[in-house]
Amino acid sequence: MPEPTARRRGLSLDVYAVALALILALLVRLNVIPTVKW
Amino acid sequence: MATAANTTRTIGLDEPIHLGRRIVALVPGLLLLAAVGYAGKFIEQSIAAYTKSHHIVFPNIEYVLWAIVLGLLIANTVGVPRIFQPGVATYEFWLKAGIVLLGSRFLLGDILHLGGISLLLVAVALTLSLTFMHILGRSFKLKPKLTSLLAVGSSICGVSAIIAAKPAIDADDEDASYAIAAILALGALSLFTFPLIGHSLHLSDKAYGLWAGLAVDNTAEATAAGALYSDAAGKVAVLAKTSRNALIGFVVLAYAIYWASRGQAQAIGNKAQFLWQKFPKFVLGFLLISLLATLSFFTKPQLTSLANLSRWAFLLTFAGVGLRTSFRELGKQGWRPFAVGAIGEVFIALVTLGLVYGADRFLHL
Repeated sequence: MPEPTARRRGLSLDVYAVALALILALLVRLNVIPTVKW
Repeated sequence: MATAANTTRTIGLDEPIHLGRRIVALVPGLLLLAAVGYAGKFIEQSIAAYTKSHHIVFPNIEYVLWAIVLGLLIANTVGVPRIFQPGVATYEFWLKAGIVLLGSRFLLGDILHLGGISLLLVAVALTLSLTFMHILGRSFKLKPKLTSLLAVGSSICGVSAIIAAKPAIDADDEDASYAIAAILALGALSLFTFPLIGHSLHLSDKAYGLWAGLAVDNTAEATAAGALYSDAAGKVAVLAKTSRNALIGFVVLAYAIYWASRGQAQAIGNKAQFLWQKFPKFVLGFLLISLLATLSFFTKPQLTSLANLSRWAFLLTFAGVGLRTSFRELGKQGWRPFAVGAIGEVFIALVTLGLVYGADRFLHL
């Protein structure tokens, strides 16, 4: 059992990370997020 | 069946509460990551401001190193209390989100050029390093599957490759944790050695970045080793490492077929599905953002914002690299897997350095 769970978690981690990055990119594109400084 | 049905119902009913609790459980660790990372940035800026105002010539030590060192200090002195651990473990999530956002700093043409060179070099280095690791494992009398895990980990992409390969070749938990510990310890060492070697050889940003991306195992450490050299080197290191990660499925599949043919692992049914399962999806996100940037979907200030968001995500990652490295735990794993890993790493570092030199000369990086 631990393996399928780990595999599922591995997959969702990637997918969630991509989803977050794409949402942030879209918000930046729509100027919803103000200029991000470093 | 009744138990399974009950469990399903329970999970279904409690899901929002569980999800809420899980998110709340992440908060302390996330705050710790942010505090350690920001402290690293603050130290870098304070030293730079002090040396500038006092006209002192002092090399700029990047926030990357400060964040990692602060994290290492905490993890190896007071330790990371349990309450912080779930949040600290998210550092890999931030790494992947940061890599996808970093795609905005590459034109697709650059990716095809540098990524193509990286893939070519990875293929050569992979063949040499897998062969070498197996010879080494045999001479150190390591268990064959442990050797396979170490070979996959050191030649492809560290911990994720080991985790992907473990079920595919039916390796023991113990072997996997040995291999992971050896790869993590060596990754921590490479953070301090690679930039020094790069500077002493006067490597260009591109050549050093390519070398770090090809030779340092874990994606977080490869990103950090690149960023420690320069911003431009960090970018190239991420690209090279991402190309390497893309090959993970093929190598794991080859090992799975090998061990299945010896009757020591389950045969793989649908190979295309297996490859897709193992393929790191963040590579696709990285390519998509880069495609959008190439098509001028973003304005220049927006591209700067995306690059800065990626840097903030990496800041959390670098803090996590330090915080999750416990030398005491690594020491418990014994010297043999570490010795095989270390000799293998030196071999891979030398081979890839030679390849990068050659590529710089003949393929014009």
